[in-house]
Amino acid sequence: MDRRTFVKASCVGSASLFLDGLDPKAFGDVTMPEPPPINIVHGFRPAKSALGMPGLFPGRVVEVSDSNSIVRNRVAQPVVRAMIERGMKELTGEHSVAAAWAKFVEPADIVGIKINPSGAPACCSSPEIVREIINGVQSAGVPVGNIVVYDRYEYEIDVGSYQALLPRGVRVVGIQDGLVDAGYDANIYCQATFFGEWENRSYMAGIVAHGLTKIINVPTMKDHSASGVTGCLKNLGYGTFNNVARSHRSPYSFTDPLIGLMCSVEPLRSKAVLHIMDGMRQVWHGGPLTQVQNFIHQAGILYFGTDPVAMDTLELEAIEKKRRDEGVPSVWEHNADSITSNSQEFYHDPKKNLFYRRPGHIASAGKLGLGIADLKRIDHGRIALG
Amino acid sequence: MQGPPKTSEPAKVATAWPTLLQDSSRTGGQGICAAKAPDHVRWHLRVGSSVRSAPVLRAGFLYVTAMAGNLHAIDVEKGRQTWQFKAADHIHSTPSLSGNKVLFGCDSGRVYAVDCNSGKSLWKVSTAAEVWTSPVVRDGVAYFGSADSHMYAVDADKGLERWTRELDGRIYSTAYVGERRLYVGCGDGKVYCLDLSSGKTVWSTPTGNGIDSSPAVAAETVLIGSEDFFFYALDANTGAVRWKYETGLGISSSPAVSGDVVVVGSKDGLLYALEIRSGQLRWKVQISDVVTAPPVIGSGVVCIQAGGTQAFDIATGKVVWRAGLGGAVQAAPVLTGDAIYVATNDGEVYALE
Repeated sequence: MDRRTFVKASCVGSASLFLDGLDPKAFGDVTMPEPPPINIVHGFRPAKSALGMPGLFPGRVVEVSDSNSIVRNRVAQPVVRAMIERGMKELTGEHSVAAAWAKFVEPADIVGIKINPSGAPACCSSPEIVREIINGVQSAGVPVGNIVVYDRYEYEIDVGSYQALLPRGVRVVGIQDGLVDAGYDANIYCQATFFGEWENRSYMAGIVAHGLTKIINVPTMKDHSASGVTGCLKNLGYGTFNNVARSHRSPYSFTDPLIGLMCSVEPLRSKAVLHIMDGMRQVWHGGPLTQVQNFIHQAGILYFGTDPVAMDTLELEAIEKKRRDEGVPSVWEHNADSITSNSQEFYHDPKKNLFYRRPGHIASAGKLGLGIADLKRIDHGRIALG
Repeated sequence: MQGPPKTSEPAKVATAWPTLLQDSSRTGGQGICAAKAPDHVRWHLRVGSSVRSAPVLRAGFLYVTAMAGNLHAIDVEKGRQTWQFKAADHIHSTPSLSGNKVLFGCDSGRVYAVDCNSGKSLWKVSTAAEVWTSPVVRDGVAYFGSADSHMYAVDADKGLERWTRELDGRIYSTAYVGERRLYVGCGDGKVYCLDLSSGKTVWSTPTGNGIDSSPAVAAETVLIGSEDFFFYALDANTGAVRWKYETGLGISSSPAVSGDVVVVGSKDGLLYALEIRSGQLRWKVQISDVVTAPPVIGSGVVCIQAGGTQAFDIATGKVVWRAGLGGAVQAAPVLTGDAIYVATNDGEVYALE
């Protein structure tokens, strides 16, 4: 399969972008439809900060594992504390934890911690890890009142009990609840008509556009029925803009190229300075919402990096390996027999899916300059603590 | 504007449901309500935004707080709103009735007392963070916790502070208020017992993770779930762990008590019935992917909302009936002799008969 994707960007002062969004490993005999032009509207000039994606360490990913970090599905707070301290020092080359955090945040910052509560309680950003990130941010001098833990859906945050579990003083913000679709900036949006939908714009969350100065991204390691995986890029892009589910309608998905494009929109791109991927639990089928424990591997790993493309590339490899080990098809497979509209069948049969997955969004994001998607160019450090 | 009858007297038991899980003992209406399978919707009313709290009922009026920040008073005979009160911020707190007042907290940190008849504000007090808990009134004093880590005791008539007590974590657990002590869970993972008159800590018992569940007390045993996946039974006098029961995931659902059995839901999607004395499992049943709402016990049945309202035989756990209401439903239902009132995430309030 070969295709070209044309994307029009009409942001202030920028030229149009052309993407070659070829899925390098796509196989199967299904022809994917061409994505429509995507119009990006915003009023921000790209920031000059070296911290914006791909950040201080392009192509570098530190993986820290500890077999004691998750025992009987419970995340061990002291163990993940040690993992995060080691991972941050290893990523930055600093000798102290506080100095490592100070590479990314400073006392005057308003720091947003972007969690992924979808899939809670079975697989979501672990509150234990978020607590340690809060400690780390505070160690760099950021007052607790300047720390905001957020996601789009308050309802999902509530299911994860984050409000009760996080330290006092931290603000926990759901950008919208089930009905109130407020909290978005009408001047920053991505516009495209994928399936004839009447509302063809996705607006950026106001808290990202105006409320935060830095973002620490805490995605989970999950298969995703439409995008192949949900990692750094999808957690940021689809967790920042609203009205994103319209990008996939069974069996087709336009998550590639939309996810990468959303991550490239300023000021999101400049503010997302650090990514810590929660691989305590690894969903290898049924994501993002599954609660079926049979397909959740308690991997007990964390990824650290500033390059979301490199991190998602490794995540995709890990999910693919697990799927191979379990004897189920690659997330790249486009086979008409695998598609089902029965969600229960999908959740319980790892050979079935709701969409033709499109993990090519990672490579597309790489072409937008958000990071490195070539495995051979990724500096993947591995540390096993226990 | 026609309001509820002016009274400070308790209404008939069969039609009164003044606080979360019917009374401050979390009985969930046990034994007093003929909960039977509903066969039609008597009325439904759209309140305009998600409802994440439980309704309360007294003297023919249902009081519902909605996410958008409104308290709604609904005439249950007519199925019509009589008045609404606008708070400063979103509301997650289940309202509580005391005399002629409706008490509830909101995300601005305020707790309001609103006149049941007129819908006018009588008093308000401020805390430093959101109040998702439900105020519990006993002997003229309202007790509530805030995400600012403090427990508050205020005079229910005028809102004057009696005492405050700082705990070590955020408080999203609605207190159980006994005769001399109150019990509450905390985000620091501890269950606290505080002296009712002074707020001083009598005892605290740690669990393995934060607590989002609200306690019940029966047979001098404090019953509460923790995010450490365990359901705890603590000696009400000492805080000693009498037993604990392991579920598959964290527990934010609050338990309901009926006789010698406590019923609680877990995020593993199961509903568990345990013997209060021993912690022995009577039955468990898979009811959904995730359970976070509290169960409510009627006569012979336990009702719970998880993607619809379901009733199970209290003795066996077998399904008695199910009522699908479309959208996900998380708030606890109100059971009366002739109706079930439920509010949904979609912002609908239903009267089922």
